[in-house]
Amino acid sequence: MDFDLMWQITPLLLEAAWITVTISVLAFILGLVVAITLVIMRSSAFRIIRWPARIYISVIRGTPFFVQLLIFYYGGSAFGINLEAYTAGLLAIGLNGGAYMSEAIRGSLIAVDKGQNEASRSLGFSRMQTMISVILPQAAGLMIRSLGVLGVIIIKGSSLVSIISVVELTYQSQRIISSTYKPFEVFAVSAAFYLILIYGVISFVDWLYNRYTRYLSH
Amino acid sequence: MNFDFTPVWENIPTLLTGTGYTLLIALFAAIISLVGGLAVSLTTLYGKKIFSYPLRFFIWLFMGTPLLLQLYLLYFGLGQVGILIPALLTGILGLGIHYMAYNADIFRATILSIEKGQTEAARSLGFGRMQTLWFFIVPQAIFRALPQLGNNMIIMLKDTSVLSVIGVTELVLNAQFEIANTFRPFEFYISVAVIYYFLNLILETSLNLFEKKLEGRR
Amino acid sequence: MDVESEVGKNTSANLMLDIINVKKAFGDLEVLKGIDLQVTRGQIVSIIGSSGSGKSTLLRSINHLETIDDGEIWLDGMRVNQPDMKGLEFERHINSVRQNMGMVFQQFNLFPHLSTMDNVRLAPMKLKGMEKREATQYCMELLAKVGLEDKAETFPANLSGGQKQRVAIARALAMKPKVMLFDEATSALDPELVDEVNLVMKQLASEHMTMLIVTHEMNFASEVSDHVLFMDQGVVCEEGPPNQLFSNPKEERTRSFLKKHLQQN
Repeated sequence: MDFDLMWQITPLLLEAAWITVTISVLAFILGLVVAITLVIMRSSAFRIIRWPARIYISVIRGTPFFVQLLIFYYGGSAFGINLEAYTAGLLAIGLNGGAYMSEAIRGSLIAVDKGQNEASRSLGFSRMQTMISVILPQAAGLMIRSLGVLGVIIIKGSSLVSIISVVELTYQSQRIISSTYKPFEVFAVSAAFYLILIYGVISFVDWLYNRYTRYLSH
Repeated sequence: MNFDFTPVWENIPTLLTGTGYTLLIALFAAIISLVGGLAVSLTTLYGKKIFSYPLRFFIWLFMGTPLLLQLYLLYFGLGQVGILIPALLTGILGLGIHYMAYNADIFRATILSIEKGQTEAARSLGFGRMQTLWFFIVPQAIFRALPQLGNNMIIMLKDTSVLSVIGVTELVLNAQFEIANTFRPFEFYISVAVIYYFLNLILETSLNLFEKKLEGRR
Repeated sequence: MDVESEVGKNTSANLMLDIINVKKAFGDLEVLKGIDLQVTRGQIVSIIGSSGSGKSTLLRSINHLETIDDGEIWLDGMRVNQPDMKGLEFERHINSVRQNMGMVFQQFNLFPHLSTMDNVRLAPMKLKGMEKREATQYCMELLAKVGLEDKAETFPANLSGGQKQRVAIARALAMKPKVMLFDEATSALDPELVDEVNLVMKQLASEHMTMLIVTHEMNFASEVSDHVLFMDQGVVCEEGPPNQLFSNPKEERTRSFLKKHLQQN
């Protein structure tokens, strides 16, 4: 093991890791916006609003993210649009993540017992009041967990934007391996960054979940 | 807007060949990941510490890093130690090992969820440790893990697309050959997405039917 | 058809609930085949019958948790079901109607993320705009009435079934409803916890609350009710005062139902 090399490449990979972090965070936020929109669309009374949402989710979940990314970046030429790599990557991850997040949010809302809705409505609360005061607080715990899992998936998915030459962690790793022919050393440092990010997020989500459930029942 | 799908129609054979390879890769990777996953999980739970600790590290490491990075490690690493194997094999191995970690994690969780009550029942009947494991715990764990394992296989089928990066012949790579000749990335990638969508649909439906059938037999 | 003219038609000073020819089907299954029922102010009505008789569906239709296919439901001169109203207009209408009715569920349905006090206090504060101080004092009185003032800060997870149901009753009462609907309120309780809930219900009855009680408990029904309805397969098979229906049922189906039930008890 060439520890010297590992030492040398760390700053370079640290910079790249930062790009991974920023693109993941921005994509997560975009994903949330998309997800909330989709959830609202799916609960519409009008089929013409529900269906596009369902189709979108079905298509995104039924096709590989990698292919979606390639369509975003290379496919724009058919429309005369040329997206910059970072933007294309961000959009692709966010739109993909949003579909999965919407299912996670829906799942947690559905998981709340039906009787809760009935009791609240029987008292005379409106749908909105019921959602805000009764359903959401109970669904939030589950949501925190599912969204956390998806956040981790986004971090791993961000590695694919290296293919369209976004200078993030995996891209930089591949470049260094190609020039130094030391795959194990590079993998070790790279993996370390990913592990810190991913298990960092997992620990944070667990902590958040515990805090939240404790807050709910004092 | 500038569409022309004729190059796609003209090159359907290439796409079909690619699809064939995709399915082949997925099949072998699935077998490796399922059998290997079970073996790894059993070793981590019941094997000697000298084996179980490294394997637990393996699971943790491979669940906490992106597939692409692992593929680079395998691809460049094998070359480094002088082992030369065709890209196809590298791809199958890389995908198989990646999902082996995930499946092992699932098996661990399901085995642990069954253990106590069943073990007590079997042992009080007079079965030995190994027999209890083999005849009671493992079959039930496999049954209980099926939905999650099925889910993983669906995800894995889509992940075969990533193998194109290390030059493995499959659907995406073949499409890219043709794109290089015809300069129609959008049309080809959309067609690739459509093919994946249907493969995914078929796989999901088959798994659902399979699960329902098993439920019936209980 | 506006609500005002409908008010004139059906108000007699005493009529609290007027259920007219109510029909409901779930797909092909007819669950309510034309139910008529009139409940006067302060009257206690029990509804008995086997599962599938439609008694729960009838109760749930009164506060529109189930939508009826045909017929009319009136609460104190106000029409509950409004087939011609849609969307936001109907939502506003039904929310305000429901604020005049209280429902107690078999599964309690307390809000697990809120304390007992918050469970009871939420509706008066949010829907009637009560100030926190006033609401807290008012709800404390209610909790004392059901014997649970010392559990105000406890969470539902730490209450027994009987305690949960008593909180549920207090929660429904907090909105000062005109009628209380009980959907098998004690069916999910362990036998030794049933009495504490029955006691609260008896006290309510003595205070002249209008009550509609769907129950399996014949003894309780005969003690507390002014009027009993026996439902079978979607129709009211027989009805009358408890001392008549329980001891001298006119219909054969009533007789066989009572026989089966009293045997089990």
